[in-house]
Amino acid sequence: MSDKPEISIAGRRFIRALLLICAGLLVAEFIIHRHAYFALEATPLFFALFGFAAFCIVVGGGVLLRKLVMRAPDYYDGDDDA
Amino acid sequence: MLDAIFAIPGMMLILGALVVPLLPPFVRNYYMLALIAFSGWTVWQIAPGLHMTANLAGIDLILVRAEAITKPFALVFHIAAALNVIYAMHEDVKITATAGLAYAGAAIAALFAGDFLTLFIYWELTAFTSVFLVLAGNTARSMGAAMRYLLMQVASGVILLAGAVLLWREGAGFAIAALDATTPAGFCVLLAFGIKAAFPFLNGWLQDAYPEASVTGTVVLSAFTTKLSIYMLALCFAGLTPLIWVGAVMTLFPVFFAVIENDLRRVLAFSLNNQLGFMVVGIGVGTELALNGTVAHAFAHIIYKSLLFMSMGAVLFRTGTAKASELGGLWKQMPLTAIFCIIGAVSISSFPLFSGFVTKSLTIGATAKEGYFLVWMALIFASAGVLEHSGIKIPYFAFFGHDRKFKVKEAPLNMLVAMGIAAALCVIIGIFPQPLYALLPYEVKYDVWETGHVLGELQLLLFAVLAFVFLIVRGLYPPEIDSTVLNTDWLLRRAIPRVVKGLAMPVLTLWFGAVAWAQKTILAIFRISEETSRESGLVSGIASTGAAAGIFLAVFALMLLARLVM
Repeated sequence: MSDKPEISIAGRRFIRALLLICAGLLVAEFIIHRHAYFALEATPLFFALFGFAAFCIVVGGGVLLRKLVMRAPDYYDGDDDA
Repeated sequence: MLDAIFAIPGMMLILGALVVPLLPPFVRNYYMLALIAFSGWTVWQIAPGLHMTANLAGIDLILVRAEAITKPFALVFHIAAALNVIYAMHEDVKITATAGLAYAGAAIAALFAGDFLTLFIYWELTAFTSVFLVLAGNTARSMGAAMRYLLMQVASGVILLAGAVLLWREGAGFAIAALDATTPAGFCVLLAFGIKAAFPFLNGWLQDAYPEASVTGTVVLSAFTTKLSIYMLALCFAGLTPLIWVGAVMTLFPVFFAVIENDLRRVLAFSLNNQLGFMVVGIGVGTELALNGTVAHAFAHIIYKSLLFMSMGAVLFRTGTAKASELGGLWKQMPLTAIFCIIGAVSISSFPLFSGFVTKSLTIGATAKEGYFLVWMALIFASAGVLEHSGIKIPYFAFFGHDRKFKVKEAPLNMLVAMGIAAALCVIIGIFPQPLYALLPYEVKYDVWETGHVLGELQLLLFAVLAFVFLIVRGLYPPEIDSTVLNTDWLLRRAIPRVVKGLAMPVLTLWFGAVAWAQKTILAIFRISEETSRESGLVSGIASTGAAAGIFLAVFALMLLARLVM
């Protein structure tokens, strides 16, 4: 894992704005009706939670996949055809 | 005769490409743009229906015919071809200019092919023209990748031809129409399309070859081959349910590979594969909404994917690398490229008001409408994955992240113009999707702007961005590592050669042993016969007359003796 990076002022602003928008989207959830095809989709905050979780699973899955398929950059270089 | 040949869509570009190497650089580009514009204008006039047939040795060929989905594909192929020319204006490389134009022409001609034999010709022509773009990478790696690429492309063509012949034997003729994938003929055709559409396990060539091409070559490659295959799948296999699952797998697995891939152009190649998955799902669902989704998505995708490849190409062109582990902080030096890249990134991530949203929503909506719950979940999950690798990783590691303090200039003007046009199209399609919808095969009744839908999409995407920020701030996001990520091309590059060598070794040892033994034996026979027949040899040597008479007498005596005894 990489070390905790230093966050620039612009980065902090971006994060603050993002948090604000996300908070707004959470509020909107209880104002706007989402038409749902599936029962799970109708549960409150489904997309917000799913988005957050899916992203973490994708990254976590990548970390696990690395153990399986990551090789040295010159892995193929010795091959006859590479 | 000549005007008939030129009336074949795309043929103008194929034949026109032959002149390209003869033209001086400043004329060449405008000639190509004019040719593409004229070709686009003529193709635009072609209404659905049968337009040109020929009879060759008793076989009816359909040289030109248009379906309802032909026009949008033909239009976007022309747009891509034009963008490619503009993007490459700064360079003077005759081979890629010629090959690129002929490649676009072959792909356009293939769209209008009405029978499998005609399609086969163009199918192979796209392979033979596009391989020059990979070769233009001009490294030992790109050479190897080009050969593997050609192998897969030609294999696809040969399998297509086999399918066509089987189809003809079944008495169905060569016409391109809906096929039954359970027959040997149908399966061959499906497999041929599957190779070029980068189905799971047939996908290795895409991530292997595309990122090894030249800066401009990769952009050209990204547009045609795979989408031609999607188009053909839509014509022949719409509604084939297993394709839904194939497509769902295609949307998912590249997502994980893209997270760990370090070469940003290869990340985009994985992302391309994931996008094809959405289109394949649409073909599998096969309803009006789903097919509209596939066609619209292909249209928008060609433009934003091209834009993303162009932006990474510009970065590679200026800095000499596309590796995430070596890039960062480029927004200061290349602000316009960064903005265009971000527009491509939010488009592919399907943020509302960008082209991915108004197109991908149709496919996802179709899976929901038909009640494919698991597939729908997979597509939503994959959408978060797209956001991860194409929406965030690409712009973040190239333009933000660690500032590498590059001393480079902004991309050349022509690159900026090409990226600017593509970015503008992404926004225009995203805000005004109606003209694109009007091109689709069926009327679009789905309301992408329904507030609940927009809200759900925004929540999904922005909370995924929040997850990224969370992982970065907590230091949990995996660092970029210069590495090789094994993909299914490993089968072709490592497993098969090793297995073949392993199996062949004993056989070869035996064979060469036998050959050596036979050689030795034959040589020994030659030596003995030579020795005995030499002048001094036992049988044919020169002897004196006396000795000869002696031998004669001895033989004569032997014969008499034999006569007496018997």
